[in-house]
Amino acid sequence: MDYIQGIAVLIGINLIAVLGLSILTGFTGLFSFGHGGFMAIGAYVSAIVSSRLDLPHPIAFPLAILAGALSAALISVFIGKLTLNLKGDYFCIATMGFGEAVRIILNNVNYVGGARGWANLPQFTTWWIVLGLCIVCVVVTWNLINSRQGRNLVAVREEELAAQMAGVDVFRSKMVALIVSAALAGIAGALMANYIQFLRPTMFNMAKSTDLTIMVIFGGLGSISGTIAGTILLVSLPEVFRNFAQWRLVIYGLAVIVIMVGRPQGIMGGVELTPSGIRKIFAARRAKAKLDAELKAAEQGEVA
Amino acid sequence: MDQFLQQLVNGLSIGSIYALMAVGYSLVYSIMNFSNFAHGSVIMLGAYFGFFALTSFGMPFTVAFFVAFFGSAAVAVLLERLAYKPLRDRRAPFLYFIITAMGASIFIDNSVIATIGPTPKTFPTDLLPAFLQGDPLEWGALSVGRIDIAIFVVAVISLALLILFIDFTKLGKAIQATAYNMKASALMGINPNFVIILVFAIGGGLAGIAGVLYGMKYQVFPQMSAITLKSFIAAVFGGLGSLQGALLGSLLLALIETFVSGYLSTQYRDLFAFLILIAMLVVRPSGIMGKVAEDKA
Amino acid sequence: MKKTLCSILLSTVALSLSAQSTVKIGWFGPETGDSALWGQAELATVKMMAEDYNAKGGIAVGGKKYKVEIVGYDDKGDSVEAVNVVKRLIYQDKVVAIVGAQGSGEAIPVAPLVNEAKIPLVASTATNPKVTVNDNGSINAFVFRACFTDPYQGKVAAFFASQKLKKQKAAILMTIDDPYSTGLSQYFKESFEKLGGKVVAEVSYTSGEKDFRAPLTKIKAANPDIIFIPAYYNDVALAAKQARELGIHQLLLGGDGWPSDNLISLAGKSLEGCLFINHLDMDGPEAKPMRDEYKKKYGKNAELNSYMVYDALSMVVDAMQRAKSVEPAAIQKALTTTNFKGVTGNIRIGKNHDPEGKEAWLIKIVGPDMKFQEKFAAK
Repeated sequence: MDYIQGIAVLIGINLIAVLGLSILTGFTGLFSFGHGGFMAIGAYVSAIVSSRLDLPHPIAFPLAILAGALSAALISVFIGKLTLNLKGDYFCIATMGFGEAVRIILNNVNYVGGARGWANLPQFTTWWIVLGLCIVCVVVTWNLINSRQGRNLVAVREEELAAQMAGVDVFRSKMVALIVSAALAGIAGALMANYIQFLRPTMFNMAKSTDLTIMVIFGGLGSISGTIAGTILLVSLPEVFRNFAQWRLVIYGLAVIVIMVGRPQGIMGGVELTPSGIRKIFAARRAKAKLDAELKAAEQGEVA
Repeated sequence: MDQFLQQLVNGLSIGSIYALMAVGYSLVYSIMNFSNFAHGSVIMLGAYFGFFALTSFGMPFTVAFFVAFFGSAAVAVLLERLAYKPLRDRRAPFLYFIITAMGASIFIDNSVIATIGPTPKTFPTDLLPAFLQGDPLEWGALSVGRIDIAIFVVAVISLALLILFIDFTKLGKAIQATAYNMKASALMGINPNFVIILVFAIGGGLAGIAGVLYGMKYQVFPQMSAITLKSFIAAVFGGLGSLQGALLGSLLLALIETFVSGYLSTQYRDLFAFLILIAMLVVRPSGIMGKVAEDKA
Repeated sequence: MKKTLCSILLSTVALSLSAQSTVKIGWFGPETGDSALWGQAELATVKMMAEDYNAKGGIAVGGKKYKVEIVGYDDKGDSVEAVNVVKRLIYQDKVVAIVGAQGSGEAIPVAPLVNEAKIPLVASTATNPKVTVNDNGSINAFVFRACFTDPYQGKVAAFFASQKLKKQKAAILMTIDDPYSTGLSQYFKESFEKLGGKVVAEVSYTSGEKDFRAPLTKIKAANPDIIFIPAYYNDVALAAKQARELGIHQLLLGGDGWPSDNLISLAGKSLEGCLFINHLDMDGPEAKPMRDEYKKKYGKNAELNSYMVYDALSMVVDAMQRAKSVEPAAIQKALTTTNFKGVTGNIRIGKNHDPEGKEAWLIKIVGPDMKFQEKFAAK
């Protein structure tokens, strides 16, 4: 698989993880510093299934991905039970702790290579598999957000107390968001393991979790097309601007502040790139133009 | 027994540093009700301010110390004015604050890496005050570094002064009032903006001192903000919003960590810290001494 | 009109004359991140070497002269990024060989890539055995290295400690989540105990740690004769300072993670008289020409990695010249029979694609200098 395909695969893998994080942060308003941990779980479990168990080739990889996603989801249930009842900041710190804890534990498990890493994993990830899974995940995310459950999530993000009074089971909604985001991160991890063919706990440290979050923010909280655009941009731009590698994070940090203070809707502006979304933009523009024309006519009428 | 005493001393010395870091963080939390994740970067900048004041600008040590205090206070206030105030004015969801803080932290840390460079620097011993230059004090097999004593003393004095200020001065009471209910105290004539600036300045200043002391004890390097994760845990452990809690939580956390790595295993020391954190959050989220968290409606 | 035609003709001729053949050699390593110091030193060195070659008209391979072009990328010390940049080097830049890979964590994942694309890679300081030899015993056909491996280094360190310095009880302080450190300490322990010594304490810390007092206190209680610290210079400097403050006065012994300009300035007097194993004598006569040139060009001292990558690139050029070809397959074949003297000693590539019997140098810290004590070459 050559260079360009490699970049495309990386975009795809990150996109799947970021979609999950978008559901959790963008739509449900929970900020996680530890999704690298879920990716790690997905990666390692999938690696165990695809290399340690001697399964026949065609079903080994899908099974591995499934195992990765399920194990990440399961652990997220456990973590969620402990932390989702806590206030926002506590949840953040707890997820930070979780991500680091996963890394430390993996460092010490020799069965999966520990800190020195696990090499020679089979190369199962192909461009087509990644593309296919991306499409599936986007569709799933889209359906989730536009369903009743999705609206519940947004309600929880906007005003938790009011949502609760309106009958939304806040805890359950948050849990759903967490589980889905963890499962997606797990899938991404599984794909990563069988693409790089090497696993090492540092690949999923806090820097990775932060990278994923930055991608969500750039794209705009609450917009799926934004998430897609943000991920493509942030994975491919560093390739183009290799000379400025030292300043990449400086720029990202500043950009995050500017985006949050100035334009939290991110690049896409909270607008979805769908036919109805585009129609909405044009409708709004037409309405504004009409209003301006009317105002102008009124002024001239008065003057005249 | 010797080993036990030495580990005790080790723990207290790390704990004093955690305490200085945690208190600034806790102070901001009590007023603003959010975790300033950029606190770690302010600590790091404080260390650099002190270092450059001492070495490149050749200032005497005490002056450099105050440069660090005021420099970090200024950075903290600047951060508040430029990044947090706009969000507050717009009544942005609290999530935005955390993300912005994270962005600020990344920006500051990497700016230092890109300009000054990632290699650590040490405070040259000959530029330190005389009483810090000698060999460690030894009682039998117990060895206590001079800087450790200094850190402990500075931490206790700073915290005592802070608590006196908060509890007994008019300004301190104004801070307490604003922490309790910003709108009501504004109605009573307390300018919330002024209080917020004051709190950030004090928190930032303490962070700066913590940074310099940390830099003197170990090294000055841009990735220092990672260490402050421990102080966050300490603050939560002791009870977010309570200064005494921050102190107690820091000392306890450091002692537990030290004994775990000394008697059990160094590998799992950080893991223990996180487990304690999770356990605390589940059992008693307000921490050992914290106030009961109100609902954030 | 005539004038323009003439000038066009002249410039075309000039261009075609100067359009000499170029050979592209890739480099990757950490220009940013924790190991930036070494990555930057490596890139600076290979660029300097390319300029030297080109100043002489290029390298002579099989009767033709080739200009050397270095294409270097930053892997940020990250395994995923390493895979990414190596792909770029192979498929976009179409290099004929790659040097660099200072970290085993970056060298190991790119091994399958270079094997598949059949582009030879010579690692500078990746010392983990798995870089060249896989778990199942197979050898990575296109991966070579210019340095000795950790098992070798551990053996040498244990030999010095036990037989030369006559120490019976050793304590080890290692970085638990760094495979270099844990690997080296494991090999040291095996050899030390085989030689009749006893490891009385084995303590660890996690990377990024600044406070070593807890593990050091444990070491103090075990009362060893010598303390082996297979870690990087930054941690070593801190640990040494803190050890002295705790009243631990034993000799400290280390590996190739120690050597750096910053080691002594960070540690002060705490490392006085201590020893470590290095790939060469950085202050010695063999390294002098390169050392002086580097200092003149860049104004600072060359790091260990500079010398290692110097030899790695020299290995590639040497292979090209012996194979009389710049084709990757031919370079790879010639690399398997490498046998020459580099600035870091004799490099004779064995069947594992590692240099066999490469000398290890014992260096002592005396004042602000690192003084060569003796060298040792295993069978």
